[in-house]
Amino acid sequence: MSEIIAVNLLLFLPVLGGVLLLALPERRPDMVRGLSLLVLTAQLVLAAWLYLQFEAGVPGLQFETRIPWIPAWGVHYHVGLDGLNLLLVLLTAFLGPLVVAGAFTSTTRDVKLFHGMVLFLQFTMLGTFLAQDLFLFYLFWEAMLIPMFLIIGIWGGERRIYATLKFFLYTAFGSILMLAAVIYLAFTVLAQDGTPSFAFTDLYDLGLAVDVQLLLLAAFALSFAIKVPMVPLHTWLPDAHVEAPTAGSVILAGVLLKMGTYGFLKLGFPLFPDAAQLATPLIMTLAVLSIIYGAGLALVQDDIKKIIAYSSVSHLGYVMLGLVSYSLLGVQGAIIQMVSHGLVAGGLFLMVGMIYERCHSRDLAAYGGFAKLLPVYSVFLMLLTLAAIGLPTTSGFTGEFLVLLGAFHAAWPQFEQGITYPLALASAAVLGIVLGALYMLRLVRRLLFGGPRAPEADGGVLRDLSLREMGILGALVAAIFYIGLFPNGFLQKTEQAVIEYQQRVLPAQGGEDRQ
Amino acid sequence: MTPDGLLLAALPEHLLLLGILAILTIDLVSSRPRDPFMPALITVLAAGAAAFSLHTAGHAGAPFPGHFSVDADAFAAKTLLFGLAVPVLFLARAERFDGRFAMLLLASLYGAGLLLSADSLVMLFFGLELLSLPLYALVVLTFRRPESAEAALKYLVLGGVGTAVLLMGVSLTLGATGGLTVDDFRAALASGDVLARGAVVLVVAAFMLKAAIVPFHAWAPDAYEGASVPATAFMATIVKAAVVLALVRLFGPAGAGPGLVAVLIALPLLSMVWGNLAAMRQQGFRRLIAYSSIAHAGYLFLALLGLPDARFEAMAFYVLVYGLTTLLALACLPSGEDWLRDRLNSLKGLYHRDPRAAILIAVAMLSLAGIPPFPGFVAKFLIFRTVMDAGLVAVAVIGLIASYLGIYLYLRVIQYMFMNPAASHPRTEPASGHAAAAALLLVAAVVLVGVFPGVVLGWL
Repeated sequence: MSEIIAVNLLLFLPVLGGVLLLALPERRPDMVRGLSLLVLTAQLVLAAWLYLQFEAGVPGLQFETRIPWIPAWGVHYHVGLDGLNLLLVLLTAFLGPLVVAGAFTSTTRDVKLFHGMVLFLQFTMLGTFLAQDLFLFYLFWEAMLIPMFLIIGIWGGERRIYATLKFFLYTAFGSILMLAAVIYLAFTVLAQDGTPSFAFTDLYDLGLAVDVQLLLLAAFALSFAIKVPMVPLHTWLPDAHVEAPTAGSVILAGVLLKMGTYGFLKLGFPLFPDAAQLATPLIMTLAVLSIIYGAGLALVQDDIKKIIAYSSVSHLGYVMLGLVSYSLLGVQGAIIQMVSHGLVAGGLFLMVGMIYERCHSRDLAAYGGFAKLLPVYSVFLMLLTLAAIGLPTTSGFTGEFLVLLGAFHAAWPQFEQGITYPLALASAAVLGIVLGALYMLRLVRRLLFGGPRAPEADGGVLRDLSLREMGILGALVAAIFYIGLFPNGFLQKTEQAVIEYQQRVLPAQGGEDRQ
Repeated sequence: MTPDGLLLAALPEHLLLLGILAILTIDLVSSRPRDPFMPALITVLAAGAAAFSLHTAGHAGAPFPGHFSVDADAFAAKTLLFGLAVPVLFLARAERFDGRFAMLLLASLYGAGLLLSADSLVMLFFGLELLSLPLYALVVLTFRRPESAEAALKYLVLGGVGTAVLLMGVSLTLGATGGLTVDDFRAALASGDVLARGAVVLVVAAFMLKAAIVPFHAWAPDAYEGASVPATAFMATIVKAAVVLALVRLFGPAGAGPGLVAVLIALPLLSMVWGNLAAMRQQGFRRLIAYSSIAHAGYLFLALLGLPDARFEAMAFYVLVYGLTTLLALACLPSGEDWLRDRLNSLKGLYHRDPRAAILIAVAMLSLAGIPPFPGFVAKFLIFRTVMDAGLVAVAVIGLIASYLGIYLYLRVIQYMFMNPAASHPRTEPASGHAAAAALLLVAAVVLVGVFPGVVLGWL
């Protein structure tokens, strides 16, 4: 019972925090920051406790709440945890306090509105992950655009208005078609069952004709793929990242992009399994294209933020590859990779923000010799780079290794039957790791080594990391290595949900056979 | 029908009439000008409360058989209209407000009441005219700039054309069916006869003109721009709501005939596309609201295609949400010189001058754009659900894409308020007390509708 309360509290804490925020005076930014940090830390504690309470191996939802909301349409306020959203909820709650702590010195304008928007974002992102009702999911999914629109548009860089409109209009376009599909699904449920419902579980059992499935999957997939983002729908991402303030970039890379892959995992593929099977070659091709193309673009950028932005395209390609392998290891790897990318890219964006705050430049050519200038900064950058490259003992390794293993496992039996493209694609995906090492090492070499060089810092003194900054990065690095060293706990808690995912997507092949 | 029932059925209208008489008497008797705000407010509140309680009590009847009847839907529609008129009164009080304004407003509401209960085309004509005629005066009444006269004239001429078209349609209905009752019109709807079709198209076209559907929309931007803020608010919300709700009642259980379906698909879609595209280029806030209202009229007319028992609910809910949010945006506009507060440029940097107003206008804009969690989303969802329910999946998808076009223009307003530095020396001030009271009322209503749409839908 107390777990159920905790889940709802977890979701509504930011709303509560936002209301309290309204009462605070605009002139006391320290109070605003303190309150936000307090609320988000409490949320993290709740999420961690729920993670520990979550029982591995139990089928279906845990800690479920289901209350009628719009009875005439069968819409419920329906939230709960399962192995698919558990880690993402934990990730979102984990990044929340770090984002706020990271913005202590970097966001000094309109502090109240800023923290209100961060709390609003946290609410909508957690809502998207926790929702078990399609109407509710859509509501949170779309509402998330508003705070992000404002965060980029108000606190962003020079071309923020262009970037923020591009971000909003791209993602909203996908959502519009998804809305049409949502309404259509609602009718189909009504026609089949006689009662209106938006519950995921009811929608899973619809058994739609393949051609209908294909159209609906296309509508959902467009929306999800824009958010992921998959090549060729990725062009909004670099703009949004470059113009966003640090907090915006961290949330965008850390959590928002995961909503797209989570959408595929929770809805896209299980709702339309037959269509998913037909679309698998296309999605797999686009995933591998994203891996290689994103990495290739990251290799030639001179803007540090753009390097990390394009690397996100590449890393999320692995997630998609893992999801369409439909194998236990591949999908579990994809989930770990989502969390890992959230931590690593979030950390890297924070580090870019820290250096930008000091020197006001994101140009790679302007910097050099940090190993001497900023030794502590350099150590953290090295550690995050190791994780980004996917070296063993880091979370990046666990994720990418499992994804590739899953992809090969899925490809091999097909190869033996004479179908060669899955194996070819899986092999090509390995190239992404090599390219990943190249662009990250290029970044590290330029920043850390060579002659000490940095644009004029405020006050002429280039300070190394403060205790606060070390604490933020330390927490991230600790999490990255914890996942890398002890992935088993995470894998156990996700296993049952992934098996259910397999059973929905591969009903004919008796999902579990595929390791 | 007992005298008692006769009195009850038209109680909201009787109350409005009493109010008009009271204000008239006060103006006659009093030696110096009196503020008619309280009597007008009490009248509108009483009429709304009467409609609400009669709806809740399940009252129905036909005090003037064949001309005027009431049922649950009529009372629900009247409650919505009279309810929306309350914030308009507050807005009017914040501007120049006198006995004439109050009487014209109440008279127009009386017309809306007749329109929503009309059982014959004669009564329909009366209602529509009584709704419209006071508006021409309302537009020109707060005469502050030359545009007002021009706007009123344009409105008058096009309103006259609408009247003529409606009369032509009514006479063709008489010719085709031999009667002037609503049932005769519905028979004409179902009939394939050329004369009957012509009659139906003309009547619908007259309604489209009043609701500003493309290509009958040209008067709206000018009239909205020329009128004062409360008059704009009245036209954009209550008049539009009355017209579409009257039309859905006129259709009753009948579906649109084959010829009409094409018109009801093409023109609303055109309205949505054109309204949204044209709104993007506007520099004045009221012109923007005008074009946006053209687009929103498109959504509403699209819902006419829905199944008879679903479309009233969808349209009434949409009208309610659209009315509340449009009024909210207008109520939060900073006050000052009329032309100045109308300029979109004056909104630049509003967040730093008046954060509350900026946030509330942003909420209104996002709701109008149909972005969750604001109630505009549920309203949009309901409209397209209704269209899709009628089997018109492709129309719904095109409509959704057309609605996507509108997102940009609402975002632009938000951008001006939050992301641009303040315009140099804006001589606008925060909204006045009465406007703030209106805003407060509206926010409460928006939150209620947004958080508990199920309650409102259950009531409709």
